[in-house]
Amino acid sequence: MRSDEFAPLWLSLRVATLATLAIVGFGIPLAFVLARGRFPGKGLLAGVLVLPLVMPPTVLGYYLLQVVGRRAWLGAWLERTWGITIVFHWSGAVFASAVAAFPLFLLPARGAIEGVDPALEDAARLLGRRELSVFTTITLPLAWRGLAAGAVLAFARALGDFGATLMVAGDIPGLTQTASLAIYDAVQVADAAHAARALRLTLCVSAFSIGALWLVQRTLPAPEPRR
Amino acid sequence: MNSPTALALSLERRIHAGLSLEVELALERECGIIFGPSGSGKTTLLRLIAGLDRPDRGRIQLGDDLLYDSATKLNRRLRERRIGMIFQDDLLFPHLSVAANIAYGLKGEPWAQAKARLDEVATLCGVSHLLGRQPKTLSGGERQRVGLARALAPRPRLLLCDEPVSALDLVSRHTLIERLRTIQSAEALPMLYVTHSPAEAISLGSKLFLMAKGQIVDQGPPLDVLATSSLGEGSRLEGVRNLFRATVEDHARDGGETHVRLIDGPSLVVPFHDRPPGTRLAVEIRGDEILLAKGSIEGLSARNVIAGTVERIVPHGAEAEVLVRTGSVLWIVSVVAPAVTALTLAPGVAIHLVVKARSCLILDDEVRDP
Repeated sequence: MRSDEFAPLWLSLRVATLATLAIVGFGIPLAFVLARGRFPGKGLLAGVLVLPLVMPPTVLGYYLLQVVGRRAWLGAWLERTWGITIVFHWSGAVFASAVAAFPLFLLPARGAIEGVDPALEDAARLLGRRELSVFTTITLPLAWRGLAAGAVLAFARALGDFGATLMVAGDIPGLTQTASLAIYDAVQVADAAHAARALRLTLCVSAFSIGALWLVQRTLPAPEPRR
Repeated sequence: MNSPTALALSLERRIHAGLSLEVELALERECGIIFGPSGSGKTTLLRLIAGLDRPDRGRIQLGDDLLYDSATKLNRRLRERRIGMIFQDDLLFPHLSVAANIAYGLKGEPWAQAKARLDEVATLCGVSHLLGRQPKTLSGGERQRVGLARALAPRPRLLLCDEPVSALDLVSRHTLIERLRTIQSAEALPMLYVTHSPAEAISLGSKLFLMAKGQIVDQGPPLDVLATSSLGEGSRLEGVRNLFRATVEDHARDGGETHVRLIDGPSLVVPFHDRPPGTRLAVEIRGDEILLAKGSIEGLSARNVIAGTVERIVPHGAEAEVLVRTGSVLWIVSVVAPAVTALTLAPGVAIHLVVKARSCLILDDEVRDP
């Protein structure tokens, strides 16, 4: 067993963690806007944000390349202004898996926030609280189960992302080769050592996925009782 | 203190195609009852005042402070209105303890001051023993009292009550009403109370606004308005109740009876109630369970015979409510109309109230709240 055998796994964990943080950071405000806001184009926005769930991952990856590729407008701007290149870099893997996993957070998060009785928020406002305070002391604590379950689902999805990551970040061993890509590569080579390697990685990733599922099961049921 | 009208408003709001709210209302530092059938716009009116909904046109003035004025496009934010509200569905925050619920509106106050206010309102509302509990472990009556304490904590300038007792059992219901009445008179807090129960309106209100189809169609002392309005086919005031604050005096030596003294009023014999002398509680007596008698009375099984003076008679249809004063306590007695003639009842006439001990319902929220 080579010492870097588990490097793809660590990279996957790092990528999935960063992707989940980004998803939660962008996802909570968006989920709140979709749950409580009333504005034209809300349905369209909700649809676009859930699109990655129904799109083939390679197609999604292709579209992402059109946005952050070195010659695409955002990619060129990032490189010019900040010297950041996302494609063929591990940050590309974070970006791709975050977009792919985003709907898995957004859907339960939106549902959880919608499940908080707006009358409770009004009661809090009547007691003199500002909007942000109402959100952090009433809405978030009452919706946390749905938000946490969504974050775990998104993490699991980001951990296993294949197609979108491959399209954006490529499959560079030691740099952008995540566990899923490494498993694929190992299976391609028909010898016992590679087969064993693929098996070990598969077992590890499966363990994380099942752990995530267990966490979701623990978190989701038994929501706060509403009277 | 001769301050201007506590609350003055004039509001218009379209509710749906067949119903528009058009209301003008003025309230002193008293308890106003918004009374009317379902769908008459009572709750909408409260929500407009609180700022939960926005009027189409009009003006809301609370003391010296203008809350809403469509002419100048003024609309104060909810959090700046300093209006307390209690709801039919108590809306306690389910993830916070009772203490945290009550203290929720005290954010920004120094800790010691907030703690003192928390203790003060908890005592006032009879929830001091519940502070460490979670809302889901409370009974309906306890939840509403916590809701009341939460609304009072930040010292609101106006208290709005949207049918707060309609989901409660009888004892909890009248216990809460008695609390509200005590608090209202102690703090001279302007209050608007929505209900469709005549009993609640009469025991709590000093002024009643009768609403129908989005408008106030009559207003005045609750008993008078309810008596003259055609409430139902029989125009009968169901369940007029007397509600008195009282303290336990002593217990009969052989048990079976307890003596309580009404605050600023006479002493009453009531069924045995196992609480030490000095305990404060409330006594409820139905208006139709009190007898009126003229002249001397002897050989009566009823345990209470109390002398008083007729103050006013409010006739309505085949019945009448006779208001009798004993000390500073005013009793409402329901009689049939011919009895008024038979006894030649008129204001100023001396009369005896005859009350059976068993007609006195003890309301004691510390122990009896189920």
